[in-house]
Amino acid sequence: MRKYGTLGVISWLLISTITAGWAQSGTCTAILKGRIVGQDSQEPLLGSTAYIHELKAGAVMDTSGYFRLTNLCPGKYTVDYQFVGYKTVTLPVVVTRDTLITVPDIQLVPDNQMLQEVVVTEHRSEAQQLLQTQSSISGAALDQTRGQSLGESLKTITGLYSIQTGPTISKPVIHGLYSNRIIILNNGIRQEDQQWGTEHAPQVDQFLASRLTVIKGAASIRYGSDAIGGVILVEPKEMPARSGIQGEVNLVGATNGRMGVASGMIEGAFAKKLTGLSWRLQGTLKRSGYIKTPNYFLDNTSYHETNYSGDIHYQYKNVGIEAFYSQFDTKIGLFTGAQVGSLSDLYAAISRPEPLSQPGFSYALDRPYQAVKHDLLKIRAYYHTAQGGVVTATFARQQNTRQEYDYLSFSGLANPELSLKLVTHTADLVWEHRDLKTPGGGQWSGSAGFNGITQKNIRQYLFLIPNFRSYGAGLFAIERYAKGRVTLEAGLRYDYRWLRAYFLNEVTSQPYNTTHNWQNANGSLGAAYQLRPDLTLTANLSTAWRAPNVADLYSNGLHQSAVAYEIGNPTLKPEQAYNSNAVLAYSGHRLSGEVGFYNNLINNYIYLKPDSVPIIRQRGAFPAYTYTQVRATFRGIDATLNYKITPQLTLTTKNSLLFAYNQTERNYLVFIPPNRSDNSLRYDLSQGGKLSDVYISASGLYVARQNRAPAVTTRQGDGQVIFTGDFAPPPPAYFLLGAEAGFTVQVGAHPLSVILSGTNLANTAYRDYLNRFRYFADEPGRSIILKLRLPISVGKQS
Amino acid sequence: MKQIEKQVIGLVCLVLVAIGCNRDEQHVSPTGDNEAVTTATLVLTNKAVPTEIVTATIENLNATVDFTRATLNLRANTTYRGEITLLNKSIMPTLDATEEIRDLANEHLFVYTPTPASLLTITPMDKDTNPAPGPYPIGLTIEIKTGTVGTGKLNVVLRHQPGSKNGTPTPGTSDLDTDFPVVVK
Repeated sequence: MRKYGTLGVISWLLISTITAGWAQSGTCTAILKGRIVGQDSQEPLLGSTAYIHELKAGAVMDTSGYFRLTNLCPGKYTVDYQFVGYKTVTLPVVVTRDTLITVPDIQLVPDNQMLQEVVVTEHRSEAQQLLQTQSSISGAALDQTRGQSLGESLKTITGLYSIQTGPTISKPVIHGLYSNRIIILNNGIRQEDQQWGTEHAPQVDQFLASRLTVIKGAASIRYGSDAIGGVILVEPKEMPARSGIQGEVNLVGATNGRMGVASGMIEGAFAKKLTGLSWRLQGTLKRSGYIKTPNYFLDNTSYHETNYSGDIHYQYKNVGIEAFYSQFDTKIGLFTGAQVGSLSDLYAAISRPEPLSQPGFSYALDRPYQAVKHDLLKIRAYYHTAQGGVVTATFARQQNTRQEYDYLSFSGLANPELSLKLVTHTADLVWEHRDLKTPGGGQWSGSAGFNGITQKNIRQYLFLIPNFRSYGAGLFAIERYAKGRVTLEAGLRYDYRWLRAYFLNEVTSQPYNTTHNWQNANGSLGAAYQLRPDLTLTANLSTAWRAPNVADLYSNGLHQSAVAYEIGNPTLKPEQAYNSNAVLAYSGHRLSGEVGFYNNLINNYIYLKPDSVPIIRQRGAFPAYTYTQVRATFRGIDATLNYKITPQLTLTTKNSLLFAYNQTERNYLVFIPPNRSDNSLRYDLSQGGKLSDVYISASGLYVARQNRAPAVTTRQGDGQVIFTGDFAPPPPAYFLLGAEAGFTVQVGAHPLSVILSGTNLANTAYRDYLNRFRYFADEPGRSIILKLRLPISVGKQS
Repeated sequence: MKQIEKQVIGLVCLVLVAIGCNRDEQHVSPTGDNEAVTTATLVLTNKAVPTEIVTATIENLNATVDFTRATLNLRANTTYRGEITLLNKSIMPTLDATEEIRDLANEHLFVYTPTPASLLTITPMDKDTNPAPGPYPIGLTIEIKTGTVGTGKLNVVLRHQPGSKNGTPTPGTSDLDTDFPVVVK
């Protein structure tokens, strides 16, 4: 999963080299097996060949999708991987006494005018070159998460958690940080969707992604200020390079919520006069009804999602242009049992073991609900020269309209209670210089660029955040030097931010405004050292900052769903983070894995501090919270280990530990993810008959009780009991059982991938500390999920 | 050629205006809360002397509450007929929530609690149209009997109980929870 500055192939080479140590004379029984795929389509290239120079022996990749070179003696060989229309790849391989050697997928680059496309392709995954701690999910691992929201699917990565608002809203959390402290790059564009709200889930279609990459820790140098927690990159599949039309159909069905998802994609590229022109259309439909906990349905937890996108790309020689448009449209029901009018309603709801209203199953979706629509238009142009490198200019416009409809008691009005429209324009110019070789055998690579952003927000009805206009500009440069076993990286960034908020004096009806501006410079240093060919140590030091956002500064109102009166603080200073992390990665013969340590110190960390005086409003007394700044630390360990018990049987353990502390007030912070351990055992069956990639797995997830939480204290205030810190102590630890089975079957000429999985199989009733509705109801019970994926191709490929 | 140039310049200007010069964020909409109750008024009429009317109003309930005209000055050992009125002045035009509640009487209940309990005795005078085991009281019209001389407060809670009204305050959520100061002379 982990990528370093070096390419996967090279690391594989290094791994292969050490295994040479074990190569001794012996019988010639080894088998070399692997797949050759086109880098453009990521599909196996049937009929491609693997040829061993030394032995003058070769093998053809057959319909099973693999080539097999048999009866190999231990030793070092040079292998050519070839296919018509693609550039030949030559790689050394070391054959040990192992009976079966599976090489990682060999990626062949199309050998035609499309070569430039491929260069740009590498450029796009520049993130993977950064030395920052990162993990990604793609391919089969991503397929296993299809149908889930972005927040949920990322939880398979260590160090990632999610903050939920009932079963329908899930927000990703990296190393304990979330909302504005994380940047989501959707197709290269910084997603701006009112992400400050804890109950505002990212509006990203998970089916758009062919890879989800998470950069853990401060990563603002390349991706902009605010990213003091990390960056999530949602990267779509490369545009097709070979002419022809192809597509993919995904179907997901789940028993809990009786959820159904259908997602389709069709894409094509032209030949002859239109060579270089490619296109893609994609869409997803999702419907889900009331979610069931082990003992009852959750009233009104239905949701709808309708997304589509279109992409057109034209490449002529070394110039290219791309236009991309997507729309994400969702309507999310909120659990009615969590709707409380007042603090006494909240206490009554908390003290109830089960919600009062327990309806049967339904797809109905009434108030309270959120209706959110996110539109993105992106235009990207790039120019590539052999001497100068690549220059990419990107312009994007995003419009996010969010309407929140509350539970109505008497007014009978059709208006939403809250309406926010956020329009964001971004412009980026990035120059990635060509790799420069030094006489000593080293290599310099790097990039520099400019990011510009302007936003406007228009509110209506209730006041939560004001109207505003903001401007931001950033300049950055990152250089990387690699020589031998060492890679070094250094980055610098300067940012300027300007924010003007517009208000109305309710008494005089006169408008007025207030203006803030901030600027900051930050830097990062990173180093990777190959201790042994199978052992790499990567370390990073980086700083990052985040200017307070409008919610931090100007919130002023009753947050009904949080049963809190939140008061902004216009005097807040920017948050400044000092992040250090180290990762030790080992990729041995049977054991592989990585252990990462991180320490994130944040000065002026902004959080909602409970006030001592409650606020009295029409529905009674509410606890008040004011945005306050403290020095906070987030320290933790992420550990993943894979152990091959036998060639077929693999044990995987993923552990995430986090210790967060409010250093100023000598207390714990609220809403910090508890420690978790996810363990699974997977058995890959030998290929047989029509089925391939057959596997079964069982998993157990243990989530500890969060014992490091602020104490729940009570006091008398205005005739009512007022809680501070939290409303209820953290729920107990829980253990969830899961299982999965999957295979690929040939349907005509197309491989149909089938995955059947079960979550919470023991139907355990539990509550999660990070669910904001944990006071009111249990988490979802058992669900059986079927996922089908069928790639299709229309017409013949040239 | 000139024509095309003009068109291009025109288009560029249009785009710039659309992006940079649209200043609609400067037109701030007033805050409006559909479900706000800004004003609660209790009008009590002495049953024995119908010309003797006591009015108490709590203003600005959705913001910093104004209790300056909220005190109920009542006579000891007297029976009053009471009516409550709720207004939402935060939206235009002002919404008379009382009328809406009367229309949705089957899911609303006013709960009146005096402190100390001996200060007043309150009896709801109206009934909704809930089927058996209903109907249940609404509490828009009440009867208040004062006790001996004393001071205290009258707590008024409006419960919203859609599909769950059973005559008790337990189900549902609160739309209003406020106190009228009471002086019995």
